[in-house]
Amino acid sequence: MAGKPVPTDVGLRMLLPVGRGLLFGALGFLVGSGLAAVIRLLTGRTPWAPEVLLAAGYPSGLIGWLLGVGMWDYWVREWFGLPRRPEPADGPGRFFRFCTDHKVIGVQYLVTFTAMMLLGGLLAMLMRLELMAPGVGVLGLAGYNAVMSLHGIFMIAVAVAILLGGFANFLVPLMVGAEDVAFPRLNALSYWLIPPVALLLVGSLLLGGFETGWTAYPPLAVVNPRGESFFLLAFLTFGFSSILGGLNFLATIIGLRAPGLTWSRLPIFIWSVFAASLISLTATQFVAFALLSDILDRVAGTVFYNPVGGGKPLLYQHLFWFYSHPAVYIMIVPAFGIVLEIIAHLARKPLFAYRWVVGAFLTIVFLSFIVWAHHLFTSGMDERLHVPFMVTTELISIPTGMVFLAALGTLWEGRILLNTPMLFALGFLFNFLIGGITGIFLADVPTDIQFQDTYFVVAHFHYTIMGGEIFAFLAAAYYWFPKITGRMFSERLGKLHFWWAFLGFNLTFLPMFWAGVRGMTRRVADYQPVLADVNLFISLAAFFLAGSFVVFVVNMVYSWARGPVAAANPWGATTLEWQTSSPPPHGNFPHRPNVVDSPYTYGMPGAVHAVVGPAGGSDGANKTG
Amino acid sequence: MGRSFWFPLLGALGLTVLGESVALGFDPSPPAAAAEAGVVDGAFRTLTFLAIPVFAFVLSFLTYSALRFRRRPGEQADGPPVRGSRPVAVTWLGVTTALTLVLIGVGTVGLEELRHTARLSPDLVVRVEGMRWGWQVAYPEAGVSTNRELVLPVGRRIRVEVTSRDVVHSFWIPAFRAKIDAVPGMVTSVAFTPNRTGGYDQNPDLRVQCAELCGTGHSLMVIPVRIVTEEEFRQWLANQSRQM
Repeated sequence: MAGKPVPTDVGLRMLLPVGRGLLFGALGFLVGSGLAAVIRLLTGRTPWAPEVLLAAGYPSGLIGWLLGVGMWDYWVREWFGLPRRPEPADGPGRFFRFCTDHKVIGVQYLVTFTAMMLLGGLLAMLMRLELMAPGVGVLGLAGYNAVMSLHGIFMIAVAVAILLGGFANFLVPLMVGAEDVAFPRLNALSYWLIPPVALLLVGSLLLGGFETGWTAYPPLAVVNPRGESFFLLAFLTFGFSSILGGLNFLATIIGLRAPGLTWSRLPIFIWSVFAASLISLTATQFVAFALLSDILDRVAGTVFYNPVGGGKPLLYQHLFWFYSHPAVYIMIVPAFGIVLEIIAHLARKPLFAYRWVVGAFLTIVFLSFIVWAHHLFTSGMDERLHVPFMVTTELISIPTGMVFLAALGTLWEGRILLNTPMLFALGFLFNFLIGGITGIFLADVPTDIQFQDTYFVVAHFHYTIMGGEIFAFLAAAYYWFPKITGRMFSERLGKLHFWWAFLGFNLTFLPMFWAGVRGMTRRVADYQPVLADVNLFISLAAFFLAGSFVVFVVNMVYSWARGPVAAANPWGATTLEWQTSSPPPHGNFPHRPNVVDSPYTYGMPGAVHAVVGPAGGSDGANKTG
Repeated sequence: MGRSFWFPLLGALGLTVLGESVALGFDPSPPAAAAEAGVVDGAFRTLTFLAIPVFAFVLSFLTYSALRFRRRPGEQADGPPVRGSRPVAVTWLGVTTALTLVLIGVGTVGLEELRHTARLSPDLVVRVEGMRWGWQVAYPEAGVSTNRELVLPVGRRIRVEVTSRDVVHSFWIPAFRAKIDAVPGMVTSVAFTPNRTGGYDQNPDLRVQCAELCGTGHSLMVIPVRIVTEEEFRQWLANQSRQM
C-alpha cells in the first residue's frame, strides 16, 4: 500500500463505521430481547431467561449491526430516495468499512480468515499440550472439549471461506474480465456478516464454551451449557454469508464474462469456483435448518431431536451431513482449481485434459449430494443404506483421479519453475494423495466400523483439508501475492516455509493414522497409556509445525510493507488477472478485455488468451514468454 | 511421451514392490480377540495392498517430473502445447473406474460377511445402556446387571443390544473391531464371537470405550472387557446374582 497518497480517513476515524455498527447492533439486541422479555412478562412467565433473550435479541442485533456498518448507507438511503454516499476509492480506510470493491473484500476475507486460522492453530497447540501425556492435564476435561470444539469450528469456517471468500473474491472478476462481481453490495454484506460470527464464537468462551465439537449432535447440543447457543447462532450466520457468496460467484461467472470468454475458455480456477458455489448456494440451507431446530429444541422446548417427545436424534445427523459433506467439496474443489491453475502457468504448458477436469468438477458436485450417510455407518441407521453410500462415496475417487491426471499430465515435459507457489502445489498433490487414499478406508464399511471416530479420521481429514486445502491456500497466497499487494515476497523465506511446513505437517499427521489404528478415539483429553509415545511425538511435531507459520506471517507482513515492487505480470502468465497493473486499479482494466483463445496459450507462438484495450494491449499485457 | 516415460514407471514398480513387501511383513492392527475382527483386519490389509501401487505411481511420476522437467535458471521457453490426449484420459478413466469397482466389491463382500454373523441367532444377548459417563451392562436371562465391567464367555455368538439414557454415545470394543452408536430412543445392535480369553490388563484393547463425543467425561467413559471360559462365566453370573 506504500506510495499511495495518504487519504483523510486514517487513524481512529477509520473505525467509525465499525463503531456505528456495534452501537446499532447493541441497540437492536436490546430491542429484540426487551420485546421478548415483555412478552414473557405479559404471558405470566419470568422475564429473565438468558437463552431465550439471547436468541430473540440476536436477529435484531445482527440487523442493527449490518445497518450501522453500511447497509443504511447503501440500501436504506436509496429506498428513501437519498443520494448514496460516495465510497473512498483509495486508502486503508476502505478495509475497515463496508466497501463494494471486490478486491478490498477479497483482502478483508484473506486477512480475517488468516488471523482466524492462526488463532485456530494456537488452539490446536493447546490441545497438543493436553495430549502430550496420558492423564488429565493442563486444560482439564471440560477445558479440552471447549478448546477442541472452538478449534473445529474456527478451522471449518476458515476452510469454507478462505479460498472462496478470499481468492475467489479477489480473482473471479479479474479473471473473467469484469469490473466487479455481479452484486457488489451483497458481496460486502456477506463479508460483514463474519465479524458477528467471530464475536459469538469468542463470546461463547465467556459462558463456559460449548463442548459438542462443530457437529453439535443433539441431544448433547441441547443439554450442553449456554455457550452452545452462541455457537449455533454463529454457524447459522456464517452459513447465510456462504449462501450469498455462492450466489454472487455464480451470477458473476454466468453473467459478467468478457466478450469471447466462452465456457470452454474459462480458467480452471473459475470452473472450480463455479462448482463450489453451486454447492454453497444449494446445500447450506439444510444445515441452517438443522441448526435452527437445534436452537428451538434448546430455547423453545421443541422436540425435533428429543426421543421422549417423539423426536429422532439421527435425523439431525442426516440433515447435518447433507450439508457438511458437500461442504468439504466447497473447501477442496477451489483448491483443485488453484493447484491446477498454478501448475499450468508455472510449468508453462496448457492444462492437460481441461475438459475432463471440468467434467470431473461437475461430477463431484453431483456426487457430493449423495454420499452424506457415510458419516453414519456406525450410527445405527437403516442397514440398507450402507452399500449404496459406500458405492457413491467410492465413486468420487474417479473424478478426483481425473484431477491427478490433469496435474501429472501438465507437469510432464513442462518447464517447471520450482518456486514457492509451485512447491506448495506439489506438496498439495502429495498430501492430498494420502488424504484421498485413506478416505477409501473410511468409505469401506468394514474398516470404517473400526476407524470411525478414531484418530484415523482425524489424520485423514487433516491430510485433505490442511495438507490439501491449506497447502493450496499457501500456494495461492504466494502465487497471487504480487498481484494483490504489488510487491514481491521473499523467495528464500518462502522455500524455508515450504520445507518446514511440509516436513512438520507430515511428521504431525502421519503418526495419527497409527494412533487411530492402535485404538485412539478422537475428541478425547485422555487416552490409554500404551498410546503415550506416539502422542508425545505428535505433540512435539505439532509444535514444530506451528513454527513454520511464523515464517509465513513474517514473509507476508514484511514483504507487503517492504518487499521489492513487483511487475504487473512477474510469472509471464496468460490469464487476465496478470494483464493489468498490480494491484489492479478500481474497475480492474483500463478497457474491457476481449478474449480470443484458451486460457493456456503456452507453446503456441503468437497466440494470446485475451486482448486488453483498443490497441490490443496495455501495460505489459499478453506476454506469453 | 517418449522413452523417459519408462523411468517413472520403473520407479513406481520399485516403490510398489518395496511398499508391498513392507505391508506383507508388517501388520499394524492391534491384537484381535473376536472371530469377526478377521473380516475388518482382512479388509484393511486388502485396501492397503491396493493403495500402495496407486500411491507409488503418482509419487513416482510427481517426483520424476519435478526433477526432470525443472526449468533451468534463465530458461524462457514454454513446454509443448499438449492440451490432452484422449487415449490417455480414457485409459486413466478405465483404470480408476476398474479399481473403484474392485474396492466396492471388497467392501460389499466384507460387509456381507459381517452381516452374516449378525443374522445368526445369538447364544447370548447382552443389553448395554450408555449414560454420562459410564456403561450399564445387563444379562437379561440371568437377571444380572453391572456397571463395572463387561464379562463375556469365549467362543459364543453374542449380540449386544445398545441404547442410551441421555445423549448419543458409541459402544466400541477395539479388540473386537466392533462399534455401534448408543442412541437415546433407539436400540441398536452389534454381534461378535470372542475367540480368546483375556482381559484389559493383558490387552488394553479389551475395553468398552465411548467413541462418540458425549460431554465432559467422554474421555473417561471406559470399562474393561473380560473374556472368560463358559464355566467361569456361569460362575461369575451366579456370584453376581447372589450379590444383587
